[in-house]
Parts: sequence; C-alpha cells; structure tokens
Amino acid sequence: MRKVAVIGGGATKCGKREATWRELVQEAGKAMFDNVDNISPKDVEALLVGAAQPERFAFQVHVAPMVAEHLGIIPRKVISTTELMCASGQAAIRYAWACIASGIADVAVAFGVEKMYMPDMAEAQTNMACVLDREWDGVNAMSAPPFFAMTAQRHMHEFGTTKEQMALVSVKNHHYSTMNPIAQFQKEVTLEKALQSPMVAPPLNLFDCSGITDGAAGVIMVPAEDAKKYTDSPMWITGSGQANIGNAINNLASFTEWVPLKMAVKEALRTAKISVNEIDIAELHDCFTISEIMEYEALGLCEKGRGGKFIEDGGPYIGGKIAVNPRGGLLGCGHPLGATAILQTFDILQQFRGEVPKGRHVKDGNVAVAHNLSGAANVHSLMVYARG
Amino acid sequence: MADVEFEKIKRPENIKLPFMLDFYPLEDEKNTRISQFFANLKKGRLTTTKCQQCSKSLWPPRIVCPNCLSDKLEWADLGVEGELYAFTETKLGAPLGFVQDAPFCIGIVKIGGLLISARIDNAKYEDLKIGEKVKLKIVELEDGRIFYRFRRIN
Repeated sequence: MRKVAVIGGGATKCGKREATWRELVQEAGKAMFDNVDNISPKDVEALLVGAAQPERFAFQVHVAPMVAEHLGIIPRKVISTTELMCASGQAAIRYAWACIASGIADVAVAFGVEKMYMPDMAEAQTNMACVLDREWDGVNAMSAPPFFAMTAQRHMHEFGTTKEQMALVSVKNHHYSTMNPIAQFQKEVTLEKALQSPMVAPPLNLFDCSGITDGAAGVIMVPAEDAKKYTDSPMWITGSGQANIGNAINNLASFTEWVPLKMAVKEALRTAKISVNEIDIAELHDCFTISEIMEYEALGLCEKGRGGKFIEDGGPYIGGKIAVNPRGGLLGCGHPLGATAILQTFDILQQFRGEVPKGRHVKDGNVAVAHNLSGAANVHSLMVYARG
Repeated sequence: MADVEFEKIKRPENIKLPFMLDFYPLEDEKNTRISQFFANLKKGRLTTTKCQQCSKSLWPPRIVCPNCLSDKLEWADLGVEGELYAFTETKLGAPLGFVQDAPFCIGIVKIGGLLISARIDNAKYEDLKIGEKVKLKIVELEDGRIFYRFRRIN
C-alpha cells in the first residue's frame, strides 16, 4: 500500500443557504481547487462523492457525474457516489484513500454535499425516518431525534448522566463554532440557554441536536511521494477503522455501549500504530450531545459511564486531556450529511497548517482522528491523520 | 416585454400519497413472503419468525435466518404484553404523514426476548416509566392494511 497525502481542500459556508444543490457543489469545488497549487480538475483521476440522500433532498440521482461536470473533472479511473447516511463523506474519503493507496489512481478527490433545506421541512424529517429499518422502525416515526433521545434516556438511567452534562457538550461546541467562519451557528450558547431551548424529544432539547444544514466540501489526495509537488504542508493518512453491527433497533449490540465504535477504534489505533493518548485532536460525530459523551467512553478517554463527568471536568476542551471538536462539531457547524466528514477532514488539515483562528487552534497538534457514526449508531467509521 | 407567448399551466391539486411517503409496508401475499405476520396480526396475534435449525427468534420477520442461513423458519407468538425498555415523545420534527399526530410517544418494547420499536398510545411522556408494562394494540389504515402499536395499560 502506498502512503497517502491530503494536499488541500475547500468548503462552502454551512447553514440555511440561498443556493441550490449544484451551486453548493460549484462553490466548494472552486474553493478546493483554488486551495491547491499546480493542480487542475483535469488531473483528477478518481472522484468519490459522499451524498446521503440527494434523491430525496434534491430529487437528483447519479450525482457523482453531476459533480464531475460542474467542476470540469474527467474521471478516468474511478467515479462513484458513496452513501453511508451520516458517514457518506467518510465513505468517499475511504474510497479515495483506497484508490491512491492501491495505485489505481494518482490524484483523487473526496467530495461531499447535501442540500437539506426543503420548502416543507417535514419532508426533510421524513427522509431521516428511512435510515433505520423503514418498514419496522421508520413506520413508528423513529427518526434520529427519538432514537438518540432513548439512547440518552438509557444512559441517564444506567449511569446517572445528567441533562446538564449533555448540555455542556453543546456549550463547548458552540463556543468553538463562534470561531469558525463557515459554521452554521455563530453564537455562544450558555448552559441555561441550552437547557431552556425547546424540547424536541425528551430528554433532548433543541441544543442537544445538530441542525439541518446545507453545505459542501472537498479534499484532494495524492501519493505521499508526490505531495511536495503541490504543498509544503500535507497531511498523511496513517490509519483507519470501520465496523458495523445490525441496522434495525432489535439487532443493535447494545444501547448504551457502542460496540462497533470500540471495534473501529481498536482497528484505527492498530493501523496507525498509536495509543489513544497520542491523539491531539478528535473530531467526533456529535450529531446529538449524548453521542459525544458515549464517544469519550468508547475511545477510552474515560471509564464507561463517566462521559458526563469527563466533560464536567474539562477533559475534552483545548488544553484538557484531548481537544474534542475544536472545529465546533456538528452541533456548532451544522450537519450537511454527505459533507460532514469532508468538513472535519479539511478542518484538521487547517489545524495542522495553523490556518484556524487562535482561540480554537490546537498548538503542536500532530495526530488527529475523524469519526462519523451512521444509522442507529450501528456503523462507526474512523480515519487517523498526521501532520506531514 | 419581448414578443413571446406566456401560458399558465396547471398541475393536479391533489395526488394520492406517493409510495415513497408511505411508511407502512405492503403486506399481502402478492407483495411479500411474510404476509403471514399481518394475517396473524389481524387475529390479534403478534408473531415473528423463529429459526427451526438454530432456534433463534428473529426480528423483523424474515425468510432466511441471518444466524445460520437456514430458510426453515416457523411463526411463533411473542405474546401481547411487553415492558418499556426506553421511550420518548416526538414534540418537534415529526416526519410528513405523522405531523398531525404530534406530540406522540415512541418506545422500545421488550417482548418475547426482542426489542421492538413501536408507537406508545394512550400516554404522555411524563406518565411513562422504564419497565412499565404495555399492551399490544392494532391500528388499521383506511385501505385495510394493519400495523401494531402498544398502549399504556393504566
């Protein structure tokens, strides 16, 4: 396997955008190519496009060729859309990485895009209810908020986690997103404001949930030995892990312990040849506040059941044990499904390059992980990156 | 104004609920090989497939056992009373087709050794408790298709 470098990227502003799906593609694509010297769309041999539900949100399928056409890319080795719901962007990253590592292609783009705002937002919620088993869970209106609400309820029931501890995750990530110019949410959220926000599905309030978001992003990968042609500050892909158990609610390994995440973490650390203590930056999939708390536990940053205490003690802040979501997370930046993983990855590159605002910069950050969960937290995907 | 023709066109005011927005399964034997589930449900029985080879009870009902790949499955009753493992109430963000029901409770019910998601009727979030007993309830759609829910006993 060849070592793979991420040499640059670009992204749109995220949020409720006055722009169509294809305009998001064009904005992010231009930003991506403008970010890298000595490369043009015609150099791209492999194009992978993370898109969770373009057929429902934008009523368009066959979207990878749409992206290629709009950006002037003529893929001649690999082209495909990658769907893994909330981890669709990471699926694109993984396949782009595989294309370069295997020698199939010498220049690959991992792109991600989602246009989620629709004229009737109940229709957008409908899309989120066909992620679990549609005929046996979705039929009960089991979309993301109720599922994660029940996860939170069980975690509170079994481990004594509190609503205040969950709200602290929202406070932290919104704090960092105030320093991220492309983030959907630009205002600080206090603990009181989080706890008093409208109830979505108890015990989850509005600020426990990531938003509905429009956004797009892309990163470019080449073999490590070619990286210096394009940049003095590449980022290496040094490891990865991914695991899945079941899809329907009855077939999950556990509600309060994300077993596939533990499996994926083990594999990511093994392939990167590092211990969890060597990670400086962790972009963890905080689709809901309870998610980030359970991710502290599964990564082994604290004991099982002590995730709430971990944030109470300041563990996941910059300057704490590990910087978790210094980008602002999904809670602060929004969650444009297919684009999310690409946004995380591009931000890690900018962290390594010192291109992020001081208040959220992790000084001397050398090793980072990017994590996404999808479905009923039954798939977990991780990439490990190192400063080049 | 340029000299070009302008014409107002019409689209249908009402259309039948499209299949893509209908969460309820097609349940008759022309559409599925587990139509027996719905036939049993019509008689007030909540059943699922159980593998004759490895004895595993499978949910949702299947035609091949994912545990041993046997296709020798039989129908087994799960009973009509379960226990609430978790629950919530959809207050905001209900999908199209369910918006008119909000707020409504959803839960995960422990029944026959399985964890089944279901609507929990006859209840408000504040009234429910983890471990509480709930009873099977059957709802019928206007086109005759049926589905299961649970309801609070008290």
